[in-house]
Parts: sequence; C-alpha cells; structure tokens
Amino acid sequence: MAVTRVPSRRLFEIYIARVPWTLATKDLKDYFAQFGTIRKCLLPFDKETGFHKGFCWVGYSSEEGLRNVLQKESHILEGVKLQVQEHKPRSFGRRYANEGAADMS
Amino acid sequence: MAALLNSTRWLRPLCSRLLRLPRGAAAAHRPSPRAAGLVGAPGSTHLIYQARLFAIAPHQKGKVQEQPILGIQNKQAHGFDWALNKLDTSVRKTGRITRALLLRIFNDMCRTGYPSSNQVLLLLRSCGSLLPEVPLCERTELAHMIWYKLQVLGAVYDASHYNALLKVYLQNEHKFSPTEFLSKMEEAKVQPNRVTYQRLIAAYCNEGDIEGASKILGFMKTKELPITESVFSSLVTGHARTGDMENAENILSVMRDAGIEPGPDTYLALLNAYAEKGDINNVKQILEKVKKMEGYFMDRDLMQVIFTLAKAGYPQYVQDILSQLRCERGYIPDAMNLSLTLITQGLEDTAFQVLKTFPTLPSENHSESSMDTGNFFLRHCVTMDKPLSKLKQFCDELKEANMHSSPLQFTLYCALESKKAALAINLMKTMKEEGLPLRPHYSWPLLVGYRKEKNVQGTIGVLKAMHELGVEPDVETYTNYVLTNFDDIQTFRALLQENGCPFETEGLFVAELRHEAVYGTLENVLTLLSSPSMPSADLFHFKGCLVLGFKRSNDIDLWSKITELLYKDGRYCQMPPGPTEAVGYFLYNLIDSMSDSEVQAKEEHLRQYFHQLKKMNVVISTNIYRGIRNLLNACHVPELIKDIIVLTDTEKLSVADVPKNTELEVSVLEKKLEKLKAEKQPIENVLKQLIVALCAEENMQKALEVKAKYEPDMVVGGYAALIYLCCRHDNVEDAMNLKEEVFRKDSSVALDANKYLALVKVLGKHGRLEDAINILKEMKEKNIPIQDTTGMGFFHILNAAAMRGEVETVNRLHESIVTLGLAKPSTNLCAPLITVHLEKGDIPAALEATIDCCKKYDSTPRIHDILCRLIEQGNTDLLQKAMDFLNQDRGEMAMLYDIFFAFLNTGKYKEAKKIIETPGFRARPGRLQWFAEKCIATKQMETLENLVEMTQKLFECDRDHMYYYLLKLYKISNEWQKADATWTKMQEENVIPRERTLRLLADILKNNSQEVPFDVPQIWYKDHVEPAPDSENNPEKKVLILCKEGNVQEAYNILLEAQKKDIMFPLFPYSTLIQALLSKGCLEEAIKVKNIAETHIKGFTLNAAASSRLILTQVRRDYLKDAISTLKTVLERDLVPLPLAVTRLIQALAMKGDLESICTVEKMVENLAAPTGLSRMLFVNNIVLAHIKNNNLDMAVEYIEPLLISGTQNPDAPMTSISYVFRKVIEERLEPALEKLSAMAERLISQFGVYKPATDLFLQYVDAGRVDDARFLLQRCGGIAEQKGILLAFIAKTSQKKGQGQKIKTLLDLIPDFTEKEIVYSYLLKCHALDKDVFSAKMLFKKMKAENIHTDEIFLKRLAVLLKNAGEAVPFTEPPEPFSFYVEQLRQKRQEISSHDV
Repeated sequence: MAVTRVPSRRLFEIYIARVPWTLATKDLKDYFAQFGTIRKCLLPFDKETGFHKGFCWVGYSSEEGLRNVLQKESHILEGVKLQVQEHKPRSFGRRYANEGAADMS
Repeated sequence: MAALLNSTRWLRPLCSRLLRLPRGAAAAHRPSPRAAGLVGAPGSTHLIYQARLFAIAPHQKGKVQEQPILGIQNKQAHGFDWALNKLDTSVRKTGRITRALLLRIFNDMCRTGYPSSNQVLLLLRSCGSLLPEVPLCERTELAHMIWYKLQVLGAVYDASHYNALLKVYLQNEHKFSPTEFLSKMEEAKVQPNRVTYQRLIAAYCNEGDIEGASKILGFMKTKELPITESVFSSLVTGHARTGDMENAENILSVMRDAGIEPGPDTYLALLNAYAEKGDINNVKQILEKVKKMEGYFMDRDLMQVIFTLAKAGYPQYVQDILSQLRCERGYIPDAMNLSLTLITQGLEDTAFQVLKTFPTLPSENHSESSMDTGNFFLRHCVTMDKPLSKLKQFCDELKEANMHSSPLQFTLYCALESKKAALAINLMKTMKEEGLPLRPHYSWPLLVGYRKEKNVQGTIGVLKAMHELGVEPDVETYTNYVLTNFDDIQTFRALLQENGCPFETEGLFVAELRHEAVYGTLENVLTLLSSPSMPSADLFHFKGCLVLGFKRSNDIDLWSKITELLYKDGRYCQMPPGPTEAVGYFLYNLIDSMSDSEVQAKEEHLRQYFHQLKKMNVVISTNIYRGIRNLLNACHVPELIKDIIVLTDTEKLSVADVPKNTELEVSVLEKKLEKLKAEKQPIENVLKQLIVALCAEENMQKALEVKAKYEPDMVVGGYAALIYLCCRHDNVEDAMNLKEEVFRKDSSVALDANKYLALVKVLGKHGRLEDAINILKEMKEKNIPIQDTTGMGFFHILNAAAMRGEVETVNRLHESIVTLGLAKPSTNLCAPLITVHLEKGDIPAALEATIDCCKKYDSTPRIHDILCRLIEQGNTDLLQKAMDFLNQDRGEMAMLYDIFFAFLNTGKYKEAKKIIETPGFRARPGRLQWFAEKCIATKQMETLENLVEMTQKLFECDRDHMYYYLLKLYKISNEWQKADATWTKMQEENVIPRERTLRLLADILKNNSQEVPFDVPQIWYKDHVEPAPDSENNPEKKVLILCKEGNVQEAYNILLEAQKKDIMFPLFPYSTLIQALLSKGCLEEAIKVKNIAETHIKGFTLNAAASSRLILTQVRRDYLKDAISTLKTVLERDLVPLPLAVTRLIQALAMKGDLESICTVEKMVENLAAPTGLSRMLFVNNIVLAHIKNNNLDMAVEYIEPLLISGTQNPDAPMTSISYVFRKVIEERLEPALEKLSAMAERLISQFGVYKPATDLFLQYVDAGRVDDARFLLQRCGGIAEQKGILLAFIAKTSQKKGQGQKIKTLLDLIPDFTEKEIVYSYLLKCHALDKDVFSAKMLFKKMKAENIHTDEIFLKRLAVLLKNAGEAVPFTEPPEPFSFYVEQLRQKRQEISSHDV
C-alpha cells in the first residue's frame, strides 16, 4: 500500500450551523478565539449570491480549545444562538479517496 | 390533490357551517360541483384524484388516435403527479403559491408539449387569489398567457376551463364583457352551464349592473336551471353596489320566498356591502344577528370584511373586526395571505395591523432567529418597493413588540437578495445610525449582480457608497467580487481615485497580489512585494494564491527571491511564530498542494529552490521539516529530503529525523563529537548517531575505527547497528566479537530479530553451525518477538544453505527453528529440506525427504519438481512409488493433478491429456490457478496454452479464468496477435468474458496501437504498479524494462554495449527496441538496431507493429516515398499494418495533393486478404482533400456529393461522414473551399433532405470555436438542431477530453431548446469533473435544479466525488454505492430498454 499523505498536525474542529448572514469570517474567528488558538476558520460563501451558506468550521490547534467551546452551553452572537457541535472529520481525505477507489474493483 | 381540483380547502369550512346553521336545507340547493366534492372531502382526497384521472382517460382516447401522443401523455401524467403534488403541498400548507412555482410548472408543460385537459385546468385555477403576492392585473395577464399559449400547444378547452377563467376574473376583479365572453364560448362551440351563468351574474353584480344580471337570470330560467344561494348573494352585492341597500336587504326575503334560507354566503355579501360603505354599525348588527342564529363566521370570512374595509378607505374600523377573530386553526396562513394581499394592493398599514395579531410564541430565549415573526411581511414590503421610511417604521415596531430580534438586518437581507442597491445602501445608512455594525460582505450580493452584468459603474458605485458608510472593502471583496470585473488593476485604481475612494488599502494590495499570483506572473508579485508602498500584510492572506502562482511558474529564481522577501521583509510574517514557521509552512503547503507526479516532475526545480533558499539563509523549523519529509516520502522522492534538511537547524534534529545517505551528517557529527569530547561532555548519544550514520553509509571500516576509538562510550544501539553492518559485509568475526563485547557490558541485552537472523545467516554461511544454533536458542530464551518477515528470513537462510548443497546445515537449522517454535513448519519453510537434494541432483533422496516431511509436518513441498525430474529421467519405478504415496496420503484427485501438471510441465502433452480425461476428473480452481500462475511467472507460454486448451472440456472449469491467465502472460510478453486470437477463440467457445478480462485484452491491443474490437468497460481505478523484475545482470531484460519505462536512449546504449561484447539477444528485445526508438522519432538509431538484429538473427524482419512504427516515423519525417515502400514490403509479407500507420500516410499524401499515391496505396491495401480495420471514408475524405489542396474545388464536390447522396439511400451502409474534411479545411483556413462545401451541405438538405454533412460542419464550427459561423449555418438550416443522434454523439465524444466543457456550453447556447438536457448536462458535468472545475459543476447543479431537471445517481455521485476531492461540503445525500455500481445499473437499464424495443 502506498504511503498516504495526512496532514502532519491534527485539527480539533467544530461545526457551526445557523450562522446569521450578517456575520463574517472575522467575527466568528474573533468570537471563537476566546476558547483557544484557532488554526482554521472556514465560512464558505456562495460566490453566485454573495451570501455565505450559514455554516462554518472552526479548527483549534489543541483539544483543549475544542473542549472549552463544547463546555459552554450556548453561544449567542449578535443575539442569535449558534448551533455548535464537534466536527468529526470524515475518515478519508484527499489521498484516501483515491485509495478507496482502487479498492472497489 | 383535491385542494386544487375540488377546492376542499374552501369546502371543509362550508360543510361544517352547513351542519351548524339551523335550517340547513340549503344543501339541497347546492348541487355539483361542490356537492360532488363533499363526498370525498374528509380525508379521501387521493381517491378523488384517481377518480378524476379515470374520468379523463377515456375522453382523451376518444379524441386522440395517435399512439405516441398517448405515450407522452402517460409520461406526463407522471410529471403531472409531481407538479400537482408540488402545487398541492404549497396550497395546503400556506394557502398560496408563488408565481415562480406556477411559471416553472407552466414552462415544463410547454416544453413537453401536449398539455392535458386537467393540467390546464390546474394552472388556470392557480391564477387567482392563490397568488396574493402578485398584483391583480398581473394575475389576469398570467391566466391569459397560459390560456393562449396552451391553446396553441393543442389544449382543448371545455366548460370547466371557461368557468375557471371566470372565477379568476372574479377573484382578480377583472373587468370584462360577459356577453362577449358568452359569444366566445359559443364560437368555440362550448355550452355554458349553470356555473358559467352564476359567475357571469356575479360579474354583472360586481359592476352594479342589475339589468345585465337579470338578463343572465332570464337565460337560466328558460333553461330551467336552479337558482342557488350564490346567485342571491351576488344580487345582494349587485344592489348594494348600485347604492340601494334596501333592495339588497330585500333579497333575503326574496330568497325565503323562493324557499332558500339565506346562508353565510348571503350574510357575508351583506357584511361586505356595509363595510364598503363604512357602515360599521350595521356590520356589527349583522354579526350579532348571525351569532343569535347560532351560526358564526369563520375567521376567513371576517378577513374578507377587513379587506373590504381597508380597500374602501375605512382602516379605522379594522380593529373592530380584528378583535372578533378567534384565531382558529389555520389562522396564520390565512392571515399571512390577507396581509400579503393588502401589501400588494398598497394597504401595508392594515397589513401590519393584521401582522400584529400574530401570536408570538413564548420562548425562554427570544433571541433565537427562528422565533422571528414578520419575515414574510418585510420581504414582501421590499419586493413591492415600499419606501424606506415605512420599512423603518415597521422594523421599529416589530422590534419594540419583541416580535423580531433583527428586523433591519433581515430587511437588508431581502433588499440585497433582490439586488435593490439603492434601498440596501439606505438601509445600511439607517443601520449605521442605529449603531448596528456594517461589514464588508454586506456589499457582496450587490457586487455579484454587477459582476454578472459586467457593470463597472455599478461596482464602483457600491464601493463608493460603502466607503461613505465607513466600510472599507477587504481582500475577499476585491478578489472575489470586484477585480473579476476589471481587466487590469491600474484602470480600476484610477476609477477609485476618480470617485474619491481610497485606492491604496491593504485589501487592494493583497488582492492585487493574489490576482497576479493566480495568473502566475511572479515577476509582478515580486515587484509588488518589494514595493515600498505595499502595506504590511500577513502571508496568511495570500499564501494559497502564491502556492498556485509558484506552481504555474518554473522560474526558480523568482521562487527564491519571493520566498526570501517573505522571510526577511518584516511586513509579511508579523504573526508571533515568525518567518521560520510561516515560510516553513508555506513550503509545506507548496509541496502538499502538488500531486506525487508533480513533485516528481519538479524534483530538480525543488532541489535548486531549496539550495538557493539555503544560500539566502532561510531557516525552517524542525517540525515543519518533519512534515515536509513525510510529504516527500509519500511522493516517492526521498532524495529531496537531504536537500530540504539543509534548511533546518541540524543541531535540533534527532537521528530518526535524518534520512539515510546523508553525507553531511557524518562530518557534522564527527565535528560535534570532537567538540563534546574536548569539552569533556557526555558523548554517548552523538557517538551512537555517528555510528548509525556511518552504518547508513555502509562504511564498515570507519565505523569499526570510531568504535575502537571511543569504546567506553559505546551504547547498545551503536553496537546493534554495527553488528548488523558487519553481518551485511560478511564479517562474521567482528560481528561475533562485537556481540560478545556488548553482552559483557550487559548480559540482558537483546538485539532485534533482524539482527539475530543476520547473525545466523552469516554463521551458517561460514560453517559455524553450532554458533548459529546457539543464536537461535538465544532468540528463544530472550523471547524475541517474531514477525511474518522474520519467518521469511528463516526461509532465506535455509534456502541459501540448500543452494550451497549443505544437507546437514539445512536439516539441523530447520530442526532447531521448528523445535524451538521460532517458526511454523509451513510448506515453504520445509521446501529447503527437499531443495538441497534436488540441487545435488539426488532425486531419490528428495523424494524420501518429501515423504518424511509429509509424515512429520503434513506437507509435500516441491513434489511437482520431483515428479518433473522423475519424468524427465524416465524413472518409472520411483514415479510409481511417488504416485502411490501421493494417492495414499493426499487422495486420488490430488495425485492426478500433481502428475497432470508434471506431464504438462515436461512437455508430455499426450500423457497429460490422458490424465485429464480420467473419468471423474473435475476442476479445482485453486490448483489450476497455482499452475497457471507458475507458468506466467516463468513465462511458459506453450505450457499454459496447452493447459488452457486441455481444460476446455474439464468439468466445472471457469473458462474465463483460464483465458484471463493466458492473456496475463500475453500481456507480459506483449503478444498482441495471440491475445487477439484468444478473443476469437473465446467467442468460438462461447465464453462470456468478465470485465477484467476484457480490460486486459483491450490493454494489450491498445499498447500495440491496435483497434479494440469491443466496448471497453470503463475503469475506475489506476492500474496496479507492476513489480520491477530483477534485471540487474540481464542486459536483455534491462533493454525491455528500459523500453517500457520510456528510457529508450539508455536501452539503445545497453544494446550497443552488448553488441560490442558480442552478446546476442533473441528476436523480441530487438523489435521492442526498434519500436521504442521509432516512437521517439529516432529513425536512424532504429535502422541501426534493425541492421544489428539482421546480422544476429537469420531472416530477421520487422513485425507488423514495428514496421508500422517505421511507416509512422517516415511519414513524420516526410519521407513519404520510403513510407510507401515500407508499407509495400509489409504487405508483401502478408502482415497487417496498423491502421494508424496507413491513415497517417494517406493523410500526409492528401496534404501534398498527391492523388495518384493515395490511389496506389488504396489498391495495395484493397488486395490484402485480412481485414485492415481501415474505413473506406479514409480514402474518400483524403481524395476530397487532395482535390482541394490542388485547388480543384469543383472536382472535390463532384466527387463527394454523389457519395453523400447514395450513402443515405442504403440504410445499412455506415453513415458517410466528411467531418474530417471539414475539420482540415477549417484548420487550414481554406475559406473558399469551406464556402463551397458549406453550399454543398445546404444543397443536400434542400434537395435531398440529407442533414448529416451540414450537421457535421456545424459541429466542426463549434469544435473550432467559430460560433458565429455555426449560428449562421443553424439559422439557414434549422433542421440541424433536430439531428439529436449526431449532436449527442459529438457531446459524448467531446466530454471525454479535458477542457472541452465550453464546446458543450456553446452548443447548448446555440440550441437552447435541446430536449435531452438531462443527458447533455451529465456529459457537461463529466467535463467539469475532468477539469476539476468545482465552480462550474456547482453552477450546473444549481441550474439543473432551477430548470427542474432530474439528476440521476451517476450525476450526483460524480458531483459528490468532485466536491469531496476539492474539500467542499456535499449539499445533498451522496449516493452510497461506488461509482461503478451506478454505471452498471445504467447500462443494465439501457439494455433492458433496448431489449424491450426489439
């Protein structure tokens, strides 16, 4: 089996739903940074409409950050309650996808 | 369903009301259609719907005779189900539908054609009060549009349709002439019925025209139609509208006289009449009166009164009625519709009053957005362009009433969504005044709109407005939404300056940087980065684009300079960890973003880059180094590791970090060691590192010296490495000494299994058997963990001894290993026990050993070899003994297989055949596989061929498997002719090959540039990498491998060297090398190899494949005469050249206009007995081209035109396609010829109805990007658009190559009403997937959704895979099975369909 490439450092990610349209990546980053060091904050925008899609991923560099976020009962930003949950990364990444394909003969 | 068709929604309340009213006799006077609906009303809507379809079906059959139309209608009934469902759900849930949904269903209906009667009815009925958001007159327009358009499409209207239209008129307060309406019905020969008259009376009454109503009433009486309550209600309204309230009231007594008790409809009419006059007292009185009669009005009725009051200008009384509402079930949707209707008609204040009656759900946390009330209200206000002041007022009140948490933001959202820029900007101003935050991305939806329109002024306007609001655009704004609208940044900057916007912001600079980087213009990136006006911007913001840019450029100097700048300039790495981390991470990202092959291809680039960085003193952190090292390992370029390692601080690295073969490491460590020693610091660790490094370099001498020098400081790890090194270098003495030395230091020390094995091996080799056995014992004592590989290690030790013929060594070591339990006595491990005898040629001893083995370990290793040797020697006695033993011990069948294989292997096919014909002999797949694979591994082609042939009649033998083995061997030995013959043989034998067999066969043929005579199953995974065979000392193999790897020059050199040494090769390597050389265009070298081969091998001639290559090369070099003569020799030897070679030759001749030679070649090929796979059109097309090249346009047309006409008259003949001619003519820009051919193609249509040439030309235009020409041609010959088959074939072909999506899009633009959209879009997605164009794929998906085109599983799967590979979320459920599953499913479906068609 070929050596698979996996990111050298693991991320501890949360998935946030119901992000109000008024918030931008920076706002989420600023808010969630209080729980730990953020290595990734992805709020995908639909380039066809100019609005974001209402969900976001935030990745902490340590498990502690993740734990801190999940411990807090509710996260209210600009009067809106965000839905925060742990994001379990899917079992395969870019490289694995190819491998998986190779297995289905 | 019935919600629409039967209006149960309106019926249900009525029904209950009827029951409530005391003298409910009215029911008797309410005949159909309402009464009919009643039967089914409670909960059996489904049944009604079915009943209706049944009712309609015979009607249709009677009218329409043609079968295909029925078919389409059947299909439509299906689609209708869906549309109906959609509308029905909407009506059921909300009591309304949107214009968009209605139009979508309408357009669908238009597309599919043949609208059915009930579909039309459905649409017409939807154009009234079900559209509260649409202004009244627009609703009527909509109804008319639907009416006329569907009539053109063949809809047949009956009374129900006319009645529906009337209802819509009434609901929309449309003014029309009832008499005209009646005469229109008459014209259309449709009889008006009671409902028609009732509605016409209502229409007259709404206008206050009692006279007109009376006239209609007269009709009804003469026709003896019953007069119902609804007529009386209309009359109430009619009198009221003339201002005669007295007579209006009187109607009620008239009713009673006629035996009809006034019901709620009548009272409602009266209520509305008073409301219209603003007579609230009478309204209240009537409400009281009805209450006393123990009846009551529904909320919905009262809402009508509210509407009437508001509309008549008495909003002050609305509150009185609102307070009477009971807010019963279903209140909210009704109130919403009322509110929407009011807004639509400009009565938003009343609408807001209604909204405020909405119950707000009590919640602990009112901040949740789902609790917001009034979104629909705000959105519709925005849609209807209500003024800002109004909006602000509503927002304030909503907020105050705690009904909405963020009404202004939501209003802004609506404004942005509907791209109302002015309103949006004004709303933002308001928000700013209120102290609400404004953010750059608020401008994006507007900018998106302007970008799509390419509206530069609009874009600048938004930026300016945002600037005035104090919101500065960020990088994303510029990159994604602004700069894409401008061709160059300088003009944009100037425009900003002109409009008083800041033009030197960080955002803009970074955006510019990104822009340049994405286009790979690294010199501009460098200029920007080094420009003093560049503000500080973190690398993080443009890293991704820079990686892209790097990959698009090959300029290593620029790479390094930019990296140096990032590292040193302070402006770009300000974040805490600093440049070591940031730039290091950038390098990591750069490599990570490349595919394995990219990294491999750019290895040298990267190496230079790293070294230049080193010179620039760029340092990366060790962590990052480790990450990059792992990446490089994963990409199979570990050689680069020692180049990246120079960028790290080597002091901090541990031994594990250092890759093998690092020269640098040894010297560094030596210095370090000396330094530590001088400082009298502990040196153990460094010493170990040095020893390990020296061992890695295989420098035994030096390692031993170092060890001797620093002996006291040696640790176990160092010893272990050193022992292993000595073993590898066959230095048994030092190895054992070292081992003893380390044990003296610490007797508990244990080495790992590999090192022990190395010791055993070297001891065995040097005859120190006892020592070796002691080592084995020690392994046992110290409980050394043994892995699978260790087991293999034991085998190698034993086998090596066996090869040396050392019987005792083999036996004793084997015994020790097995009795100590270090390894299990598997067949493999026991094999050396026999091998050792076989090697010495002592077959009887070998047989004895096997029998012994069987007794002890229950296995019979190498029995096959023994049997073979016995057969070869003709030793029948021993053979008999062996067979007896096997028969007894292993069973008869096993014995027979053993002997069968032995006969086969020794070439005694007759004997083998006799064995296999033994009665009761049956297939044992495992054994057959074993032997077949043995044949493949040893390339025993003849043996395998015999096996396959002999097993033909073998009971239960899987023939596909057998042929698969054979093809595998043919593939390895590149025997395409044999493979091809196998294909025929399989058909002869009626074998149904599995996919993998077909793929393998196709592979062989393709590799030899042969046409594949069947449809190759698609392959979804990469070919497995073939293990490189041991080729070290075999120049013949080396040549073959190098040829395969494409390293032809090297192969050529080896052959020349072999030639010097007089080494002769068999035929195959020569022809392979010749082919390989030719494929690289090395004609002279190929000829030289051919000459060498001819001296070695008598009668060496090139095979067909090599000759074909030769022809190809000669054609490429323009030696056409030589090529023709090569072809001639090939044909003379009765070989079949590759079709490609002949094709290229003919094409080259055509380009020269050499008609004569084309004809010569045609004759040569024609005489060939075997099929050549050449199309007749090859010659035809090229003869045409040759004429054109010779400027004989008339000749060309004269030649081809009759062929094209006759081609269509013979339906069996393959389609004559002159696409090639068109393409060439377009490519070569031979415009006069193109004109001539185009005229011919058009003539063929107009005179003969032959569309193929024009369609081909059209597609060639599309293919060449000459869209205008394609369009003009299409305008002249509209029928091209109907050549579905040809067009689809083109699309399918186009979608197989990268970057071709645009062509399909162009085609769709040209033929917008292409009917097979689903198929075309699937192909388009395939293109996008090939291009990894996620954006376009998503757009396509969205478009399909909008157009309501079905997306099948293959489509979804492909899209999902594309999205996932791009790291994006999949916004739908991904089909769970692998891709191949759905492909197979589709294929089966298609097969089924085609078999049904037959």
